[in-house]
Amino acid sequence: MRKAPLCRLVYVSRSALSGSAAENEREVMQILNASRRNNTRDGITGALLFSEDCFAQVLEGSRAAVEKVFERIQIDERHRGTVVLACDPAPAREFGEWAMAYVGREAAREAHYAQFTRENRAAIASQEVLGLLRGAIARTSAA
Amino acid sequence: MEGSLRPSARRSEERRCEACARPLWRGDTLTELADRAEFRARLEEALAFGRPAPLQPAPQELAVLLIDLDRFKGVNDNLGHAAGDALLRHVGVRLRSALRDADLAARLGGDEFAVLLEGLAGQEAVSRIAARLVDLLGRPYLIDGCIAHVGASIGIAFARPGSEAELVLRRADLALYKAKSDGRGRFHFFEQELEEAAEARRALEFDLRAALALGQFELFYQPQVDLAENCLAGFEALIRWRHPQRGLVPPDRFVPLAEELGLMDEIGEWVLREACTEAMRWPDALTVAVNVAVPQFASGTLVKKVATALSVSGLPSSRLELEVTESVLLSESRSAIGQLAALKALGVQVSLDDFGTGYSSFTQLRSFPFDRVKIDRAFADDPAVVRAIAALGTNLGMRTTVEGVETAEQMERVRGEGCTEAQGFLLSRPVPATEVAELIARLGERLAGIEEEARK
Ligand SMILES: Cc1cc2nc3c(=O)[nH]c(=O)nc-3n(C[C@H](O)[C@H](O)[C@H](O)COP(=O)(O)O)c2cc1C
Repeated sequence: MRKAPLCRLVYVSRSALSGSAAENEREVMQILNASRRNNTRDGITGALLFSEDCFAQVLEGSRAAVEKVFERIQIDERHRGTVVLACDPAPAREFGEWAMAYVGREAAREAHYAQFTRENRAAIASQEVLGLLRGAIARTSAA
Repeated sequence: MEGSLRPSARRSEERRCEACARPLWRGDTLTELADRAEFRARLEEALAFGRPAPLQPAPQELAVLLIDLDRFKGVNDNLGHAAGDALLRHVGVRLRSALRDADLAARLGGDEFAVLLEGLAGQEAVSRIAARLVDLLGRPYLIDGCIAHVGASIGIAFARPGSEAELVLRRADLALYKAKSDGRGRFHFFEQELEEAAEARRALEFDLRAALALGQFELFYQPQVDLAENCLAGFEALIRWRHPQRGLVPPDRFVPLAEELGLMDEIGEWVLREACTEAMRWPDALTVAVNVAVPQFASGTLVKKVATALSVSGLPSSRLELEVTESVLLSESRSAIGQLAALKALGVQVSLDDFGTGYSSFTQLRSFPFDRVKIDRAFADDPAVVRAIAALGTNLGMRTTVEGVETAEQMERVRGEGCTEAQGFLLSRPVPATEVAELIARLGERLAGIEEEARK
């Protein structure tokens, strides 16, 4: 049934959360809860990174589903300055087991908005984001 | 969010619609927002009804926001119309997501949207919404696997019940125009000065359209001096507009407008004829230089007009020089270069004007065998630039004129730097045709004086 071609989107955005660390963490948990609920319904898998100043997210699914959820995320006031690093057909899901895996600030200390959005290196930055997320998730699963 | 695409029906609405028998909702099928007619009708109602007194003692201000997408055409051109439509649908949803249920959002057509806000307290609240819309609509769109970027410009006008819908819309439109001319991707509120500026512009436009027929244009002439011979070489003809009330209007105040209004082709033709006729009154050796603007190339009739001006006046073609700026080369360069070649074949001289101000690329100098390059006044005091262009000109077989020469030392210097002609206030300001004879008579003396002064 799931034979619509797969598409993977990687973006970073600037966090607009302005509360204390604990408040922000709570807000992100709410995002995650909604994400997991909706993504399971929509056949989306992926991972979300939240660090000091930025979000980075991978979304996988049919192109239509990815576009739909991206548009919804796009107008969320909790972040801005979205830069799409990659949006490509993908042979298989990287995060197939995750309606939305999460990598928090401890595991993502090196992640900064400015670093991912430097000019002319979107392809590299998208690999960096994917690598970061893969690595962090592998570590937590192993632990 | 998605459940609220249509503004919720208001209590009074059904009643009113029964009474006036208009359809309940006229929508834009693409975005499911209201369409232009619906927006107009709802705006008129809001302005007319003024909300009955018992519930709301003070009549409420309402705000109209007109929204234009910036760079939308690029999406249509690059990604196709289906993608453009998808983007407009996203815009509709994003608009609604930032508004209250009772606010009205409409697509007026193309990439024009409008919002009607009622019962909002003042400029600050409306600013917040407008800023949010500029931000939201400017965020990237993902369409068919491609990222599209557009921006939004917004013009805002307030109105009280009793105002004319037409007036409110025009004011919002003026504000929108201002937001765009300030650089797009921003919002602007209507202010009285915008109306005054628009009124002034309309009046100028009106006068300008009549100026040619009323014979209000004049040519002024500024001498160009041959630096090797230290003698007068000819004059550049410069257009002036003498209006009975406005006085002498400088070209930068009306030439761009005339180009925009499509009047420049006709005005340019008059300039050509007038300049050629005038030059026939001068000594045989003197040339006349005439500026030719981009729109004159667009009609494709320039060569014919030049030939006519020459034959009607009897001026030998070698005495006419046409000055073009590099924008001519950039505009539709193949056809422009063809026309320049045909002009050269007539025996007319062709020069490249204002060199140094734009791209000023070597490619442009090479794109056509110009007879002359004119170095912009901005560089009269920059020896390195003047020397470089003069050397380039010499090597390419072009003469070089420096504009804006104001002192005897400057003139001496540009002579030393290898320029062949000079023009500027040092020699004379542009003078009316009636003063040209006198200027010719005393210029020899002036040139001798300048030489003496520089030697000191
Ligand atoms: C950085 C970021 C990532 C998000 N990721 C997702 C996601 O993967 N899936 C999702 O449904 N919503 C995601 N959201 C939340 C959406 O913006 C929106 O709030 C949510 O989909 C609304 O869902 P609800 O209508 O079920 O409450 C994200 C929000 C942010 C700020």
